[in-house]
Amino acid sequence: MNDTKKVLSFAVELGDILLRNGAEVYRVEDSVLAILNAYEITDCDVYVLSNGIFASADEVTEHASSMIRHVPMYPMQLARIAAINTLCRDVCSKKISLEDAWIRLNHCKSIPAYPLPILIIATAIGCGGFAYLYGGTPLDALIATFVGAVLRLFLHFESKTAHSKTITNVLASMVISIVAIIFYIIGIPTHYDKVIIGGIMPLVPGIPITNSIRDFINGDYLSGSIRLIDALLTAFCIAVGVGIIITIVQLGGF
Amino acid sequence: MCIDFIIQFIVAMIATLGFAIVFTAPKAELLFCGLSGAIGWIFYSVIATVLEAPTLGNVVGALFLTVFSRSLAVNRKNPVTIYLITGIFPLVPGAGIYYTSYYLIMNDMDMFSSYGLSTIKTAGAIVMGIILGMAFPQSWFNKVFAPSCHKS
Repeated sequence: MNDTKKVLSFAVELGDILLRNGAEVYRVEDSVLAILNAYEITDCDVYVLSNGIFASADEVTEHASSMIRHVPMYPMQLARIAAINTLCRDVCSKKISLEDAWIRLNHCKSIPAYPLPILIIATAIGCGGFAYLYGGTPLDALIATFVGAVLRLFLHFESKTAHSKTITNVLASMVISIVAIIFYIIGIPTHYDKVIIGGIMPLVPGIPITNSIRDFINGDYLSGSIRLIDALLTAFCIAVGVGIIITIVQLGGF
Repeated sequence: MCIDFIIQFIVAMIATLGFAIVFTAPKAELLFCGLSGAIGWIFYSVIATVLEAPTLGNVVGALFLTVFSRSLAVNRKNPVTIYLITGIFPLVPGAGIYYTSYYLIMNDMDMFSSYGLSTIKTAGAIVMGIILGMAFPQSWFNKVFAPSCHKS
């Protein structure tokens, strides 16, 4: 096989997209290896971290090839993971050529997120639902719905600036608390704690925690720790953001 | 009581579905994502209120959620991540994080430590549930839930 390099760059690019969109380490390693094997490259090694891929193939031959990728953490896009999973199945069953696979990979890469209005409605409904589930009244849920919509709009504009994730989380949870407490102060009989709890749900690090656990189960302790620290830091940021506003309100004597 | 749980099931399903859209789950899987979240929540909720054992509820909720997600993953030929990640949201201790930081700021150290510990306990319980759910061999799921075209 002379196209070791082509196959390897395809496999690593596919792994890159999987990892970037929030797949767990084990799945990435598995997919890259499966593709290399599907193209009859058996002398290969793949090492994946939560933010990097290292792969080499055919080390002892003249076609020796190796690649290193740095993969920054990005917002999760589950549809891309699902699409690439299907692509990976097709490649492994040798249904498609490498050229076709590249075309489909590029297609997978550009699967868009849902449009902003739908995202706003979805976040709003999610926040409202969770405010109700965590013991809020229907009125609390209604206000949390509004808070969720505001939060999504804020996150949308925030994502266009170059702020770090830490600042974004602190600012976003501050926005949530401000809106929730304004409703309370103008005299609507809500429990602002329930509204805030519903509002922070989209920020709460459910995904890093889940992925971290799954990395630990699969024995990828280093990636698991990285994601766990990410989750703890996010939780801390939310607490700081909410805390700042509540402190101000307490000092203001409302 | 029973009606209360039915309402909770529906609300949990809609809320999870909303978050599934936020994380760009594929359109065809949205309903199943919502269902997995609702299943996790309803097991938690029933055990937490009827048996008054919220930690056990978290374990069992996460366990059933994981098993359900894995069955769906096999049956619908999608990565288990899609269902598991969206379904875990109702169980994640968002309220715990809020109350812990709230009582820290209020300087109420008793309540702070009690809520802090219960948040850690909840997170630990979810971890246990997922680990238990992941411990079943993949071959069981492949046998029972494989798409029907493979059965003769």
